[in-house]
Amino acid sequence: MSDGQRSPTSDGQIVVSGLTKQYKNVRAVNNLSFTIQPGRVTGFLGPNGAGKTTTLRMLLNLVTPTSGTATISGHRYADLSEPLRHVGAVLEASSAHKGRTGVNHLRVICAAAGLPRQRADEALALVGLTPAAKRKFKGYSLGMKQRLGIAAAMLGDPRVLILDEPANGLDPEGIRWMRGFLKGLAHEGRTVLVSSHLLSEMQLLADDVVIIAAGQLVRQGPVDQVIGSMTQGVRVRVRTPQAEALTTALKGQSATVDADGQGALLVSGVDAATVGRTALAAGVELHELTTERPDLEGVFLELTAGKAGIR
Amino acid sequence: MNLVRAELLKIRTTNTWWVFALISLPLWALTLLVNWLQSDALTSGDLGEMPPEQAAQLAAAAHPDALSANLFTTGQFFGLLIVMLLGIIVVTSEFFHQTVTTTFLTAPHRSAVMIAKLAAAALLAVLFWVVTTGLNLVAGAAVLESIGVGNQLGNVAAWEAIGLNGLAYLLWGILGVGLGVLIRSQIGATVTGILLYLGGTIGAAIAISVLAARFGDWINDLQLLVPSLASSLMVAGTEIPGNPPRWAGAAVLIGYAVVTGVAGTLILRRRDIS
Ligand SMILES: Nc1ncnc2c1ncn2[C@@H]1O[C@H](COP(=O)(O)OP(=O)(O)O)[C@@H](O)[C@H]1O
Ligand SMILES: [Mg+2]
Repeated sequence: MSDGQRSPTSDGQIVVSGLTKQYKNVRAVNNLSFTIQPGRVTGFLGPNGAGKTTTLRMLLNLVTPTSGTATISGHRYADLSEPLRHVGAVLEASSAHKGRTGVNHLRVICAAAGLPRQRADEALALVGLTPAAKRKFKGYSLGMKQRLGIAAAMLGDPRVLILDEPANGLDPEGIRWMRGFLKGLAHEGRTVLVSSHLLSEMQLLADDVVIIAAGQLVRQGPVDQVIGSMTQGVRVRVRTPQAEALTTALKGQSATVDADGQGALLVSGVDAATVGRTALAAGVELHELTTERPDLEGVFLELTAGKAGIR
Repeated sequence: MNLVRAELLKIRTTNTWWVFALISLPLWALTLLVNWLQSDALTSGDLGEMPPEQAAQLAAAAHPDALSANLFTTGQFFGLLIVMLLGIIVVTSEFFHQTVTTTFLTAPHRSAVMIAKLAAAALLAVLFWVVTTGLNLVAGAAVLESIGVGNQLGNVAAWEAIGLNGLAYLLWGILGVGLGVLIRSQIGATVTGILLYLGGTIGAAIAISVLAARFGDWINDLQLLVPSLASSLMVAGTEIPGNPPRWAGAAVLIGYAVVTGVAGTLILRRRDIS
């Protein structure tokens, strides 16, 4: 592919369009379309079995789509002339030979990709794995394996990074390291696409999210916007011994009141100040008054309700 | 070319090669001993009474051509097996250790990967043959001298056998790769390969001789279709009276190597890696 054919606007962009994968018994991915922008970390979210891994593998030419296309910078992965210099990927099942050392694992990849041999040492240093370079893969901890995977993905200094559940099995320190690392890469203008089912982590890491369930797109957009778009919005939790009196008073303010099932009321449609003022005016005694902001987890559960579960 | 280098590096960076070398050396030494004793017995004369047909075969085997061909291809029986297992491992270890994802991410053109694997296995097989043949030329010449037929290093028939032996190593290496793609499981492919080689040799030989006794001699020619028998025919060293010609065995084995290589490539191209 010549650079002339590559439209500059699509450089580093990932475009998935009408992607479908039908396995014998399941439609793992169903007519899925979304776009990922460079310079941002995009979280690819969905419950287990939603089709995240299948989508990423189709994007990387490992699984053949039943229909639809997936391109990176305007090209199918198989058509990239030097794929490792353009795209780095860390997939769930990407592993190394148990009896091979970490540095040799990377050197094999360098040899196959025509990259200079010293890139192996540089990539190990980048992920802080230099001390374990000459140890065999079978002696690596989960966190070290994950770092080796990232080192392999960084060998070609790629524009686009794709990671499938990279936080799986990492300790808190490892997760924090990864967060900083990925944010740094996005800051340099690279495209970072990270699949995960760990939502609290994604809220800290991602700029954008693509949420899928049962193989279909549920929502796409910047994290704040997706959270803000939720029907429930901000809610106020109140605890009072006079629940009925307060409920009546609040309904007069056109608020919606629900019991949370644990002795408190969840009020939406009005803010905490209004709730406090209304209670004072009605002479109702309050024991708790807190504003609850929806987080990604709540949004996610609401969006994917009924579609989750093992397929 | 990068891919072939990468495949060879994969072998060099694991303990596979020296484990295989370690297994092969004593097996080679053992075969050498057997061949020595056999050559000695064949040339020391008196082998007792026997029917004329068998006597003719023995006389052919005692000829310097056959003796040298046999000695200079020492270690072949196990060597071919080892080379096939090496070919199997070149493919199945990728699935066993789940490195196939990385391999195909690095080189999305799968046919190129498969060709590199075939080339690497072929190179390793030829290397194996070169080393064994080097040992054989030294040890075999010494044995031939000791039984009084001269070192035979100038014998054309002997060099023909050495060449066909090399072809056999090459082809079994390729067959191994094809088998590895067809049966992804490391253990499954290894067991099948060994059965095909050993069981195929012994079982098919027995079955064919039984059938030949029942239906007539033409059945003997069918042994050509069994890969292991085609191979042993091809590397028989010299033409054995009453058997199909050696080149026919070679042709059949080349056929099998091409078929498994091509089938393996086509399968690998289509398969989902998940
Ligand atoms: N090779 C396969 N053969 C059959 N079904 C598969 C295969 N791979 C995945 N699936 C099914 O496709 C669905 C999506 O799986 P996956 O993409 O792994 O989801 P996720 O990564 O979001 O957890 C699941 O129901 C899974 O069982
Ligand atoms: Mg997954």
